[in-house]
Amino acid sequence: MQIREDILTPRERVLAFLQGKPLDRIICMPIVTSNAAHLIGKNIMEFQLDPEVMAKSYIAAYEKFGFDLVYLFTNCSYVAEAMGAELVYSDDEPANSEVPAVNSIEDLSKIKVAEKHDGKFPVFYEALDILNRNIGDKVFLSVCFSGPVSTAATLRGTERFAKDTYANPELCHTLLRMATDSCKNFIREVVAHGAMPIILEPIASGSIFSPKMYQKFAFPYIKELIDLAHELGALIPLHICGKTHKIVDQMADSGTDVVSLDECSLEVAKEKVAGRAVILGNITPATDLLFGPVERIHQVCKEAIETMKDYKPGFFLSSGCEIPTKVPFEHIQAMMDAARSYGAYDYNKGE
Amino acid sequence: MDKEALFSQISQALVDMEENTVVELCKKTLEINIPAYETITQALIPGMDRVSRLYEEEEYFLPEVLICSDAMNAGIDIVKPHLDKNLLEKPVKVVIGVVEGDTHDIGKNLVRIMMEAAGFEVYDLGRDVPLDRFINKAEEVGSDFIGMSTLMTTTMDGMKTVIDKLKEKNIRDKYKVLIGGGPISQSFADRIGADLYTKDASEAVRRVKEIMGRS
Repeated sequence: MQIREDILTPRERVLAFLQGKPLDRIICMPIVTSNAAHLIGKNIMEFQLDPEVMAKSYIAAYEKFGFDLVYLFTNCSYVAEAMGAELVYSDDEPANSEVPAVNSIEDLSKIKVAEKHDGKFPVFYEALDILNRNIGDKVFLSVCFSGPVSTAATLRGTERFAKDTYANPELCHTLLRMATDSCKNFIREVVAHGAMPIILEPIASGSIFSPKMYQKFAFPYIKELIDLAHELGALIPLHICGKTHKIVDQMADSGTDVVSLDECSLEVAKEKVAGRAVILGNITPATDLLFGPVERIHQVCKEAIETMKDYKPGFFLSSGCEIPTKVPFEHIQAMMDAARSYGAYDYNKGE
Repeated sequence: MDKEALFSQISQALVDMEENTVVELCKKTLEINIPAYETITQALIPGMDRVSRLYEEEEYFLPEVLICSDAMNAGIDIVKPHLDKNLLEKPVKVVIGVVEGDTHDIGKNLVRIMMEAAGFEVYDLGRDVPLDRFINKAEEVGSDFIGMSTLMTTTMDGMKTVIDKLKEKNIRDKYKVLIGGGPISQSFADRIGADLYTKDASEAVRRVKEIMGRS
């Protein structure tokens, strides 16, 4: 396998893609997040709370891997936290919500629509400022946050939220409305800091809800966020965890610029998205990336690149989900190497 | 109304998520002296079996399964006080939980629901379960299976620890170990020496029944 050094910077590469110009290689953005803290000897708690730790972790990861997007993300519950949910923080794990905030209709008074400076939102803004100053000329920045369904389900407890879709749809819509407005306040500020917002919806997954329920409870709210980003002149990817083969067309219908996939055959995605969005995915984090070996990672990346070779507007090589803490850094490197080998294009500088 | 027609209406109401109808019809079975055992095994469990199939076929998802399960339990609550326990065959016993360090329990709850629906005796240890508790509980209740679940890669090694501890105590052969969850795969199950991995709750129930010769 021949690994060619990059000719373009990640920023130049992504800009070239957006302008329809030639690229030196496939765009590759493994979803490296809080595990980057370990590159600078910090833990995940510090990463979530201290903007300087967050920024320095990503700078170290960017310098090590040269990936094409800085993908800021801490945990699935920080929008809910900004709305009033209590999270449990532990040393080296993403914070999570153990006790739902909304146990009854009366509890709605305990939560509110998050404003731009609520909860841990400012950690992201400060980290973005540091990143913009240090590597903003070389690579684009993004911030990933849990969308309306996942945030509403965190506030209510996922199983109760699931039952409410039949038993109390009004409560679902009340929570979804508040979560959507909170996300919108965050999106405006993320865009103002020069970063791309990324919607994450682990709970709107095809592993949890039917396509019919997705259409009713997820689609309209997700679309509202996408429309806002577009009004602000920003691109906005939509990532859904777990199975998506039955909702991948609905993901594209919502107008997202990038359909970001976890468990979905790329063949199915290619057919259903049908040119309406970039497809991003989907090297399996918990099997291929966790256990490797390196040769296997090269092989699955090569297969993904070949499957998507002629797909327009394009395919970005990525992990199917956030890369778990236990994945060895060599395995992330293996993915970048595959992009610089099987994904290298003929390219003459100055063309 | 004859018994068969009533049973099929109960099953149908359960599949249609109509808890109140299930409850009313179960009351009717008592009025006309249908044994509780028959209502459970010929109406409620077959209804939940259909739900389980619909889930496996991706027609039903989490909300539908949870609501059907509530309907089934409401029906069982009506007839249970009248149940002649001597008629029940010795149930498959399963100790189940989410391994230490992880609080994601939706998948495990689905497995419990489907196992209970199949008539298994399920000891649910909940989530974030200290590893020794799986073994202690299995020893205490004389379980057939130990079922472990996790959604996180950080905690999946806990499953191996439980298997290793069973070996250390020379009781590995007393239990079949069943594992599942987002990051778990057949290759991981092979690697740590688990007896059974299934991709979802319905499959778990089917495979456990096969292993126990109950299918």
